[in-house]
Amino acid sequence: MKKGLAVLGTLVALALLLALPRFVSSYKLLTYTRFLLLALTAQGWNFIGGYTGYAAFGNVAYFGIGAYTTGLLMLGKWHVPFFPSLAAGALLAACVAVLLGLPILRLKGHYFAIATLGVAEALAQVADTWDSVTEGSTGIDLPIRSDGEFFYYTALGFVILGLFTTWAFARSKLGYGCVAIREDQDAARMLGVNTTLFKVAAYAISAVFAAVAGGITAYQNVHVTPGDFFRIDYTLQMIIATIIGGVGTVIGPVLGAAVYQLLSTYIWGKFIELHPTVLGLVIVFFIVFLPRGLMTVIGRRRKSGERPFKASDLLANVRAHRVT
Amino acid sequence: MSLGELGQIFVNAVLLSGILALVALGFSLVWGIMNIVNLAHGAFIVLGAYITFFLHELLHVDPFLSIPLAMLVLFTLGWGIQRGLINQVIKAPLLATFLLTFGLELLIVNLINFFFKADLRSVTTPYSGTGFTLGSVRIPYIRLGALGVSLVLVAGLAWYLKSTRTGRAIRATGMDLDAARLTGVKVAAVYASTFAIGAGMAGAAGSLLSMIVPFDPNLGGTYTQRAFAICVLGGLGNVANVVIGAAIYAFVDVFVGARLPSLSRAVTFAILVILLILRPQGIAGKSA
Repeated sequence: MKKGLAVLGTLVALALLLALPRFVSSYKLLTYTRFLLLALTAQGWNFIGGYTGYAAFGNVAYFGIGAYTTGLLMLGKWHVPFFPSLAAGALLAACVAVLLGLPILRLKGHYFAIATLGVAEALAQVADTWDSVTEGSTGIDLPIRSDGEFFYYTALGFVILGLFTTWAFARSKLGYGCVAIREDQDAARMLGVNTTLFKVAAYAISAVFAAVAGGITAYQNVHVTPGDFFRIDYTLQMIIATIIGGVGTVIGPVLGAAVYQLLSTYIWGKFIELHPTVLGLVIVFFIVFLPRGLMTVIGRRRKSGERPFKASDLLANVRAHRVT
Repeated sequence: MSLGELGQIFVNAVLLSGILALVALGFSLVWGIMNIVNLAHGAFIVLGAYITFFLHELLHVDPFLSIPLAMLVLFTLGWGIQRGLINQVIKAPLLATFLLTFGLELLIVNLINFFFKADLRSVTTPYSGTGFTLGSVRIPYIRLGALGVSLVLVAGLAWYLKSTRTGRAIRATGMDLDAARLTGVKVAAVYASTFAIGAGMAGAAGSLLSMIVPFDPNLGGTYTQRAFAICVLGGLGNVANVVIGAAIYAFVDVFVGARLPSLSRAVTFAILVILLILRPQGIAGKSA
């Protein structure tokens, strides 16, 4: 019953999103496209950060790789069409993620987080210095395509694909293995989970999502520079979106991205100069009061006998994690 | 590279390592004792720099004299933040504290930007830019003074942790939370002191940096990264490790900076990642 309701809700939301470009201005459509692209990166982060429990802080590296690969293939002597370029970017990102993941996924906790941060930092500097390919800090210019609906529907298509992928992942051997790694890596290994393989796979999947979002963003923004496409803000946005929605859930990242984009756009309009302050407050609020995201408010399962979410649970969340 | 040049690079690295040790000191303490990577550490450093800057600009206080005040302000702020916010999520998974301190850094940096504007500032005193020469090596007074202050604070903290009651309680809590609680240590108070001391040290580092390099509100992030790198290089656990880590970092940074300035950050991080993979406990740290 409850499950049917959830599926119905998702279908209604999808129908609304499909029909959306008919009702809003092209400027507003840009905001919605941005929401979808954020949702895509958040879905990707959810694989490694949510299901596998590794605090990856460098996923923007794959966003950048996707953007640059797509851009460079569409330009210059090759003139490859958009979708093959996008696929090439995703493939390259996956390869880089496997190569980097093999060593750095052996690290744990903070060390892993900072190693990924370092990787993103180093790649940004490579893009900035490697003038002969990336044109350095001037950046590259892609062919112009000013068709808002095309980008919107492309992003929407990938987000829906992402929902199915996440759903299938969560029910696959791979997904269960990753959750086992998150809960207790040594126990998982003892039960016969090939931890290295599973972690690298989850990391590579997350890289593919980031790269696809990066490629679409590059084509839409036309101009690609290291400063715009390797910004640590993107990594944070995808993490925050996932946390707002609920880590390790199928719909969480998309829901979180919607809430984040809504807040962000609204706050942008109201207090341009204090935007990061308000964003900081939102982060602090969610971490302290709702560390497991909005899905704990919405998706309490009846069958496991949990009562619906009450306001007093906000304080219970606080009490659970504090030291006296 | 001539011998004189080499000597200058060496002296620069020594002078840099002192201040970097102070930059990383509070960060290492908080991480080692509370298992929190405080991403707002750099923002605390920047706050310290602004306190010194405004005291000098408005009241003409000598920057070295404003250090205690900067430490006191940051100590109080650190205490408040720990008590009010971090303590609420300290037992949550790592990502929670990581993001919480990041949110704080976003907030503090933006507020500084909002009130003090993003202009590049620096503290200039009559003795700025003066120094003496030893052979062909030049040593500026301010850098030497900063090294002195750093060493005093590093040694002071080492003594405090080793010889005072609170210091021992802090170390005991870092070793085993439950055992410390059983012996009557008030863990919440110890955590608050630890975080406050860490913030105070960041304030002192900021004061010193304001005299040495021009700064703006966004400088903090780089210092958080450096503090992290130093902790990884030296390993956590005691004050001596921080000094070793800072020395290694300073030498790599100065030598790479002299050869490949445009790639210095990439090279430094590459070394760091390789080191993390080979020796996750740090060069000086004991293996787990």
